[in-house]
Amino acid sequence: MISDIVLFILAAGVPYYIFLEKGTKFHGKYIFLLSAFLLLSAIVLSLFVENEHRTSLVWISFFSALFSIYKATKTTNFYKLGYYLIFVNAPFFILFEDAGAMYSLSLLVSLIGLYLIAKFYDKNYGSANYHNITGTTLVRPYIGTFLTFYLIALALYPPFPNSLFFLSHIFKSEPNLVWYIVVTTLFFGNFFLAMRVMRETLFGRPNPNIHYVHMNSKDKAIHFFIIMLLFILSGFGFKEMLL
Amino acid sequence: MSILDKLNAVKATIPHYWPIGSFIHHNPLKGFEDLHFKDGLNKAQCIFGGKVYMDSSYYMSLYEEGKIDSFIFEKNIKEVLFEKDSNIPLEFAKKFLMEVSPKWASLRIEFLSKKEKIDDELYTHLEKSSTICDEKAWLNQLIEHMTLYEINDALFSSDDKDGIEKKIIEFISRFLDEDQTTLNMPNRELGMFEAFKLYENFSYEKSSEKFVEESLKQLCVKDIEAYLLTHLLKLHGWAGFIKYRSEDPEYASQEEYPSSLVDYIAIRLYFELKSVKKSKISSFEIFQEYSTQNLSNVILQLLKHKNILFGSALDALEAKEKTNKVLSDHIIHELTLDALQIQHSNDVLQSKIPLIELASILKKLREEEGYIWLKSLEDTYIKNYVEKLTNDESEDEEVVSATATFCLDVRSEVIRKFVERSGSYRTYGAGGFLGIPIAFVEFDKAHEQFLAPAIIKPQNVVFELPDESHEEYSSKKGMNKVTKKVLSDLKNNPYTPYIMVEAIGWIFGINLFGKTFLAQKTNKLLSKLKPHKPKTSYTLDKLSAKEIEFYIKKLHIKIIHSVLEENSKQAYSMYEIEELREHLVFNNDLSIEVSDLIIEKLKSIHHITIEDYEYQKKKLQMVGFTLDDKVSYLYKYLTMIGQVDNFPDFAMIIGHGSVSDNNPFESALDCGACGGNISLPNTRVLCMFANSKEVREEIKKKGIEIPQNTKFIPGFHTTTTDEIKFYDTGTLNDEELEKLSKIQNDFDEASELSRQERSQSLPFTNTKKDMILKSMDWSETRPEWGLAGNMGVFAGPRKFTKHLDLKNRFFMHSYDYKLDNDESEILTRIFDGPLIVGEWINLEHYFSTVDNHIYGAGSKVYHNVVSKVGVFSGNYSDLKIGLPMQSVYLEGKAYHEPVRLLTFIEAPLTKVLKAVENSIAKAFILNEWIRPIVIDREDKKVYSYENGEFIIIKEIK
Repeated sequence: MISDIVLFILAAGVPYYIFLEKGTKFHGKYIFLLSAFLLLSAIVLSLFVENEHRTSLVWISFFSALFSIYKATKTTNFYKLGYYLIFVNAPFFILFEDAGAMYSLSLLVSLIGLYLIAKFYDKNYGSANYHNITGTTLVRPYIGTFLTFYLIALALYPPFPNSLFFLSHIFKSEPNLVWYIVVTTLFFGNFFLAMRVMRETLFGRPNPNIHYVHMNSKDKAIHFFIIMLLFILSGFGFKEMLL
Repeated sequence: MSILDKLNAVKATIPHYWPIGSFIHHNPLKGFEDLHFKDGLNKAQCIFGGKVYMDSSYYMSLYEEGKIDSFIFEKNIKEVLFEKDSNIPLEFAKKFLMEVSPKWASLRIEFLSKKEKIDDELYTHLEKSSTICDEKAWLNQLIEHMTLYEINDALFSSDDKDGIEKKIIEFISRFLDEDQTTLNMPNRELGMFEAFKLYENFSYEKSSEKFVEESLKQLCVKDIEAYLLTHLLKLHGWAGFIKYRSEDPEYASQEEYPSSLVDYIAIRLYFELKSVKKSKISSFEIFQEYSTQNLSNVILQLLKHKNILFGSALDALEAKEKTNKVLSDHIIHELTLDALQIQHSNDVLQSKIPLIELASILKKLREEEGYIWLKSLEDTYIKNYVEKLTNDESEDEEVVSATATFCLDVRSEVIRKFVERSGSYRTYGAGGFLGIPIAFVEFDKAHEQFLAPAIIKPQNVVFELPDESHEEYSSKKGMNKVTKKVLSDLKNNPYTPYIMVEAIGWIFGINLFGKTFLAQKTNKLLSKLKPHKPKTSYTLDKLSAKEIEFYIKKLHIKIIHSVLEENSKQAYSMYEIEELREHLVFNNDLSIEVSDLIIEKLKSIHHITIEDYEYQKKKLQMVGFTLDDKVSYLYKYLTMIGQVDNFPDFAMIIGHGSVSDNNPFESALDCGACGGNISLPNTRVLCMFANSKEVREEIKKKGIEIPQNTKFIPGFHTTTTDEIKFYDTGTLNDEELEKLSKIQNDFDEASELSRQERSQSLPFTNTKKDMILKSMDWSETRPEWGLAGNMGVFAGPRKFTKHLDLKNRFFMHSYDYKLDNDESEILTRIFDGPLIVGEWINLEHYFSTVDNHIYGAGSKVYHNVVSKVGVFSGNYSDLKIGLPMQSVYLEGKAYHEPVRLLTFIEAPLTKVLKAVENSIAKAFILNEWIRPIVIDREDKKVYSYENGEFIIIKEIK
């Protein structure tokens, strides 16, 4: 029971960002880092404890996920979007049991990519807000490509690991009503949130009021590494699906 | 002033849009030509937004390539500084333009993450001089060119605009449809606004003008002219097309389904009223009140809507911080960055000028830099070409085997060069319509094509008639028609598509895979199925009054006969039918009994009326030419190009056109001087005149003797593949045919060399086969470069350009001023036709390059043909007015070099001045929308027109 609750909190089953956002000290960046760290701790912890959770926890995390989806539709800041997505996907961690750890790990890797893009925006445009940074793919294809990879992964599109672990669970689980509601809602939630960002920042006409900044080689290498990591996880995902 | 007057006062801002079927290159800023080029561009930028010059980094790269002369650049900077009465040192200004300006935007944010000290005085100065500190003025600036529904969208994060524009486009594209859809909109003949009322099912008794007036009153619009312009600018492509239609009463679709700009505005305002009625702000009066109470929030939301609010301010808004604070932080941020930009510029410039003064200087230089760079680029070209044109010339051969006249189009330059090199040939250049504007009715077609520049309305109609039997053509044509009809019926039937795909879908696969993988072979196969036009000739002689009467009567009787047959059980004799016609047309007494219903039908549906009779008569009177017309056109043509003696055995006159597949912009690659059509008919007409014995006899009296053995042969130059084919050779004897065969061989060789040269500038094109494939490839976005790269005109004898490599960049019109009279009639004609077309082409390319989003058509990849009048992006958007990205850009870099038309004229200055004075092009010449350069060999001087006067730029030795 205690391990359930600990995991539940660590994996962001309740939106503790509500309290953190109220204080001015906690910038979105730190909330994201804290949430990501806690999720990582949950992943590690889940390897050592039993992974069977009560339905009530699934329901609670599901409602908190719905609230997070709502919050995510109201923001155009990558940091915030990052930690909202952690909370949006928390029910999967609970619901998927053993497979939840790998799914969450994939989510975490994708979100680290998104976080680095947010950091890049923050440094060069004064904020991680992407509302004005439109048409990125046309003017800065590297950033556009990296961001596309991360968002496609978050939208649960194959062949990225998020979708593969997700599919793997669908194939192997025995569905019930809760399962149907959670899986369907959150699948579309993830999809629409990612697509909304793509529409607003990757596509469209570049903003003539913005001076678009190039990514340096070091940053490119880091993003390339993260994408490679995603593909390695995809390998595990495929294996998981086929076995 | 009535609403109509107010609308007329602003509609000039919107450029005309001609239907894409005969694409007319045009200056998108034609409405600004009464202003000086620089002022016109500044004004247009305020209205349309976007860019009017290339970025300074683009010019900088040209400078580094040596295309902009350093001395000329300095001279132009000095001129601007002098004009502005500024005491800025030249070196300082130059350094700014070359080192600071290209990275101006990055200087603003480069050190964003560092904490830097801002100069207080500079900050205060910027604060005082900026509009953003006067919130009310700022607000007015922000809502300029915004409709009320856009303001609502901005303030309340709604998305009404998309819905409204979509509905408007849906209606107007269906109303303006020219047979693209299978289900036509009903009631279009009632007019645009009347049809709209039925479409939207709203009852309104009064006119569209009254509706506009009432709507504007409801919206409490203060500046009505400005608001009408705002609405026109929202979808200025569609507005431009409606403007074009409404101003051409003879446009067939307009005659049938009338539309007007006031109807269009009424439709827009209908949707606007519908949208704002349910919004919080339903009139400008309410907005005034609302914005006074929530000024900072309104400004912030407008800034957010326009994507100019800083990310940190967006975050603060999300966090629901107080709007006053967010706005003041935004202002501080904005001014800090402005100050940093100036401080960083100073770091690069290392100047000792006080920062406040520096800020003013930089502002001035920023305003002028585009024009300085552009003029420097142009002046460098002018200097180089004047040197080349005046330092050397080729010998003119007295006797040649043949002469060939090509269109003045830039694409003729390379082929002319190789034709001249392939043998003893002399070439000429003339506007593709050859000075003969014709309304051409092609064989087996029912509609006219106007083969003349868009500004000229042809007064002569030419019909193409078969010269030989054409059973095979008719049977193939009939078969194709039946096949198309069957397929179309199967496709449009509600049930058949279910089985059609499985049953015959694979047939379409042949086309799909064939055109994709075996384009050449598939094209060959399909061409066998297409009917081939028989040999034809043209109706060049005028019809007599008797003949006209005969044809109209024949037509009327045929119609009446079929209507009677369909609607009456009684049989009528020919005499009775004639009597009925006399009654309908001339209101004579009718002794026979015919039902009122039939009479009404004949009058209203089949137009057998006196008005129609007069119209038919007028049209038939336009068929053909009188002998005087023929002589006059030929004389004007020969004197215009300077071919008045030493006629060889063959005088070729070669028209041109382009071939491509799946390309809505194909006509943009055809002859611009023929209104975006192929110019072969004009060349055939002129050759028929010139080969006529009686014309030669008459023209001899005017002093031009064409020898009996000289044959004028029309030809056709396919610009995509550079192939040249001759026509109307049936009258030649064996000896002449043998000579012509030699000429054809030489021209084929020239074509090959021309292809080789042109293939180097086209991407992924190395061989002749590649070029031919481009003309057949349905996925090819760039079948040829067309007129991209155009930059100049040369009007003068060929001997001065023959030795030069002009790289397909010049329109070349032959002109010999010695043949022109004191009134400069020939030069005036060149100005009135070819020069106007050249300027439109040049500025279409200029603006499509500097801002393809606003003045161009965007990427071809997303285009869909709409209503058969143009293209839009995706499933709905504004009608795209200019050239697609692929026509002027290559791999993200401008292929077309945007400069004004450098117009070199070989003539004495007095003659040029006379021609300018008499020309309808006077306004744009004197306002410097082109750059005239006069090479006066009599005075041994070269002049350039600058700042309102012709100044000497070179003395010829």
